[in-house]
Amino acid sequence: MGLSSVSINTEDLQFCVFDLKRGQYEGQELDKILFFYPADLPFPSQLSVVGLSEGLITFTSIFSPEAPCEVIEANRHSHVFYQAEADIWMVMVVEKSKEVESVWRIDALRKVLKEVHSLFMMFHGSIKSLLMKDPTGGVVRSHLYTFIMDYLSDFLVGKKLHLPSFRDSLKERGTIEMLTVGREVAIEVQSLVRVVESCGGNAQYHSLLMFQDLLVSTTLCPDDTINLFAYAVLRLTPHALSSRQSSWSYRGKGNSRSSTEATASFFEQHSGNSWSGDHRSILRPLQHDRWSKGKDGFLVNDIWHANSGNSTSSTPVIYLQQTEERMYLCAYQHRSLTLLFVVPVSSIINAEQGVNVVKQLILDNASLKMLKVEEKLSKGWGGENAYHVPGYRYLLVDVDQNISRASPPAKVDTLTKDSLLSLTKLRKEVDIEKSRARWDSPDHDRDLEICIRAKNNAWVIARTTRGKELYMVLENANETVLYASDAVEKFSNRYCNGAFSLD
Amino acid sequence: MSAIASSSQPVVGLSSSGALSHAYIKYPPLRYNIPGSRGLFYDDGNKIIVSPTNNQVFSWKISPFTPAIAPTSDSLSEGPILSIKFSLDSKLIAIQRSNHEIQFQHLETGETFTQKCKSESESLLGFFWTDCLLCDIVFVKTSGLDLFAYNSELNMLHLVETRKLNVNWYVYTHESRLVLLASGMQCKAFTGFQLSSVGIIQLPKFEMVMAKSEANSKPILASEDVYIITVYGRIYCLQVDRVAMLLHSYRFYCDAVVQQGSLPIYSSKIAVSVVDNVLLVHQVDAKVVILYDIFLDSQSPISAPLPLLLRGLPRSTSMGSRSNDKNGENSEVNYLSDLEAIIYGDDWNFLIPDLICDVSNKILWKLHLDLEAIAASSSDMASVLDFLQRRKLEAYQAKHLCLATARTIILERRPLSLVARVIDVLVSSYANSLKTGNYFKGSRSEKRAASTALHENIPAAGDMASASRATIIGKSFEYEGAGLEGEYFQASASSGSDLEENGTMGYLRTDTNIDTGKVPIGTETKIIEVHPPSVQADYDGLRNNLSGTSVSRMQERQLTSPVISPDEMYSFVFCPVEEEMAGEPSYLVSIMIELLRSANSEKIKVHPNIYVLTVQLLARNEQFVELGLLIINKVLEPSREVALQLLESGRQNRQIRKLGLDMLRQLNLHHDYIVSLVQEGYYLEALRYTRKHKVVTVQPSLFLEAALSSKDPQHLAAVLRFFSDFLPGFSHTSDHKAYYHLLTEMTLAPVS
Repeated sequence: MGLSSVSINTEDLQFCVFDLKRGQYEGQELDKILFFYPADLPFPSQLSVVGLSEGLITFTSIFSPEAPCEVIEANRHSHVFYQAEADIWMVMVVEKSKEVESVWRIDALRKVLKEVHSLFMMFHGSIKSLLMKDPTGGVVRSHLYTFIMDYLSDFLVGKKLHLPSFRDSLKERGTIEMLTVGREVAIEVQSLVRVVESCGGNAQYHSLLMFQDLLVSTTLCPDDTINLFAYAVLRLTPHALSSRQSSWSYRGKGNSRSSTEATASFFEQHSGNSWSGDHRSILRPLQHDRWSKGKDGFLVNDIWHANSGNSTSSTPVIYLQQTEERMYLCAYQHRSLTLLFVVPVSSIINAEQGVNVVKQLILDNASLKMLKVEEKLSKGWGGENAYHVPGYRYLLVDVDQNISRASPPAKVDTLTKDSLLSLTKLRKEVDIEKSRARWDSPDHDRDLEICIRAKNNAWVIARTTRGKELYMVLENANETVLYASDAVEKFSNRYCNGAFSLD
Repeated sequence: MSAIASSSQPVVGLSSSGALSHAYIKYPPLRYNIPGSRGLFYDDGNKIIVSPTNNQVFSWKISPFTPAIAPTSDSLSEGPILSIKFSLDSKLIAIQRSNHEIQFQHLETGETFTQKCKSESESLLGFFWTDCLLCDIVFVKTSGLDLFAYNSELNMLHLVETRKLNVNWYVYTHESRLVLLASGMQCKAFTGFQLSSVGIIQLPKFEMVMAKSEANSKPILASEDVYIITVYGRIYCLQVDRVAMLLHSYRFYCDAVVQQGSLPIYSSKIAVSVVDNVLLVHQVDAKVVILYDIFLDSQSPISAPLPLLLRGLPRSTSMGSRSNDKNGENSEVNYLSDLEAIIYGDDWNFLIPDLICDVSNKILWKLHLDLEAIAASSSDMASVLDFLQRRKLEAYQAKHLCLATARTIILERRPLSLVARVIDVLVSSYANSLKTGNYFKGSRSEKRAASTALHENIPAAGDMASASRATIIGKSFEYEGAGLEGEYFQASASSGSDLEENGTMGYLRTDTNIDTGKVPIGTETKIIEVHPPSVQADYDGLRNNLSGTSVSRMQERQLTSPVISPDEMYSFVFCPVEEEMAGEPSYLVSIMIELLRSANSEKIKVHPNIYVLTVQLLARNEQFVELGLLIINKVLEPSREVALQLLESGRQNRQIRKLGLDMLRQLNLHHDYIVSLVQEGYYLEALRYTRKHKVVTVQPSLFLEAALSSKDPQHLAAVLRFFSDFLPGFSHTSDHKAYYHLLTEMTLAPVS
């Protein structure tokens, strides 16, 4: 799968980050641009992309100052806009090709922009704050460059970047996948989480507990949970640590992922240009294969250690989104269980030593409980296909809680292209409906039910109700719409506590 | 408690500096001063003390212990008295007149008869009454045991069985039904018999350990140095080794005697008491007492040695009377001041389990534990609470202390692990009591039926028989040890009912094989028939069979136990604590989670109040993510209370409100769900739901009002139409008229 062809060094994909407030004077336009991919595109071409985007933003904000511009559908390209911070915009330009393979869902692409920006903020703080510190923009440019290139390398298949296409329409980026646990285990988990938290005394510790690539518990606010979860799945879980070969993961990397060498070469290929600066001294949290499991069960890395500015500690420091508090990030792993906990930097006086004391404290207090929890979770773990429902291919999203659950990627792969294309189309419709409803009555969720009989006689269904969305493809199903709605009802009653049952 | 302690402090002269003690005797004592008394005898079978005079015998009930109790008196024929004991049915009185004869006197008729030793070579060491089915009284002689049954018609004793062996001296307690016979040069070889209600169980012979002071010396064990005690229903024997300065303990199992370990002693004179299953070792010379709780077979004392105190002495009386200077009161004053000086006096006689007889003053003290002082003396809260939870005599105080301790450790923000352990102790103790309680209720009725069906005339005896069969020796007496006579049969029923059928069947089988030695006594003929001497071997086999399947020993806790239910934990720990700790709810939530974990592992239901409080705390702390997780994973079990609290706490948070709504829906609380839906503004959805689930309890005006406030005429029209179509007679109501009018106004408004 995954033939959406955005090959390197073509103009199939362009990606830029720019600051509206910079480069206001003629001749200084280049100063606006904080990041551009492909970096070796001539400046005039880069400027024309940024200039067009800027123009459109300025124009549309006359009518809608709050949310100026989301997308431009041109003849040959789609421009996806994302306002990352005030005046900071991210724009992705994807080529529309006649091939069916490059059918995008704009919302899915925007989620990519949002994700990379959120992760960037988590490790480096906001772009604005970096620009404040270094008005020339040199620092932010080199940070953005390494960070986004590392991020994009995850989409690299062979020599091509595969952005989320219609193939991924039964996935939802920017949501969390949760492990369903029984009450007894849930209590044990809570007990563990509470013990970890209590280790902080007056300082507020937070934790995030994962089993495999699934979230078990969190005490962080939703945004930070999403970011840490995404990072853990990318780099920290046992699955991410050992190899990236298994087809099972929330990102559904059904495609065999690129080797380290390939990603490195991808990076090197594009370095040595005006944007990258001296990337060797730059913190690269998303760089591959820099994390490993230490003897004491804690994950160690050689990313932060190498970083000159922070040489006293190899413990990563992250920014919490809501409070902008700086936190040490520690990760402990026992078999399939990963415990991430964050400790306020302000609560620790002596960086490296202090963190080690905290680690030891957590080990002393919680390691037994972790063993117990891991054992219980493993016992109840249904494997990669635990959440497969025979006959259904589904995506269930709880928008309020940013939780999603979907059919396992291997099962989604069995769907025909036609079904997936129809689903993408349907999801686009729902996206539009949703954004309209959002403007009409922000506090009131609308119920929506769409059932489509696709060309290949599959039922493609979307239901939304009070903050929950359900997308479903039923192939080889009966032809009556009654059958389809019964199928939804059954699914809803059994797996969603009746949330989608017709009221 | 504290009031008692403080009031007693100025009184006690012995230790004026911070009078602290873990055990105490309480004023007033029982006085048994009878003119012409010829000594005092302790009849532990009837729980009375007996003081004979020349022609009368006075007896005082000591259970329950009431100092003011008046003695009952019976007339008595004259003669020397070595020992005197009432029969267990209080119809006979037996008086040992010499080393060879015992005189029996019928209390009602006054008839007497005498039983003598057969040969002159043997002499009588003593005797005791028994409730063994086989016999009524046992004579202990230098040549062994004689077991007699009493024939009320002929008014004579009938020899049932004889056990031949050399006996130097013996010890017996009715509580354990165990008689230990000492033999050998050093008197350290022991044979034990338990005369339980099912028959006689002979323990394997064993020797006690005695250290030698020199190579050739052979110390001789005295009967004063051996104590039989019953703790938590287990029977132990304690033996003082004067040379090694150790107190050895042995535990009796049905087919083994196992040495348990040794406690150090610090005094040449030692006495042992048991109060509420706590072992008190009095170091008489040192005038201190050391407490042991041997429930967990631990050899370490509960707390440091402290003196025994006299409490409750009326100081004001003595002060006042001194100034009055009347003769009678003056003697009272002297008497009181004497009392203060006699703690561990030479005339103190310790009676098992918990009495002290002051022979010279002719008073009887009962020992008490100061649970509060014990609790305060240890810093290991979990084990303190564990200890308190096992107390039965002062259950209320123990419970009170447990609650107070729980509150304190939470308020002091002790580490979570400690609080968790404390909660575990309380919850598992509660679970235990629940198990035994339920077990009892469930099994009682069917059990009763089974036992009466098999042998009609002895239901109570049957219960006991099976109970003591069921487990180790002494099984049937463990509850009596707690001094709760009323619970006696309930207790044995609960412990033995499983084995009732087995036990009884094996029991009756022997009936068919051997039918000899008939000694008809009263109505219990049948029982006696099945207990001829030769049946002993069968019993041993049966006992071994049963010991494997024996019910695990559970502690019986009735209303008088200090267990704390999760409900009480909520009202007496969390509620008060929550008010004081309003500042930081996170810690308290952690404790609630620990409570839930503990309760869950013991499979105990928790009252929704606890869930509601958890929701409140989390919401107050704005930990909405965690709250969501707890609800989704059903850690906080769904209930109407929780759902309504979610709606309430979620006023600022839509997600939490939604969780509350979902919970109402999932619980099928249609009315609440619909009302809440309408409040959220989802009145159209609510209407659909009403129709689907045929809910008729919600007033149409509620929907109409909601629709009207949306200012959308379409919606209002839809709602009106809905009720017109589905609610018969709606178009004639005032609601219809009023809202129809409003609707027309709304639709006309834009036009005009």
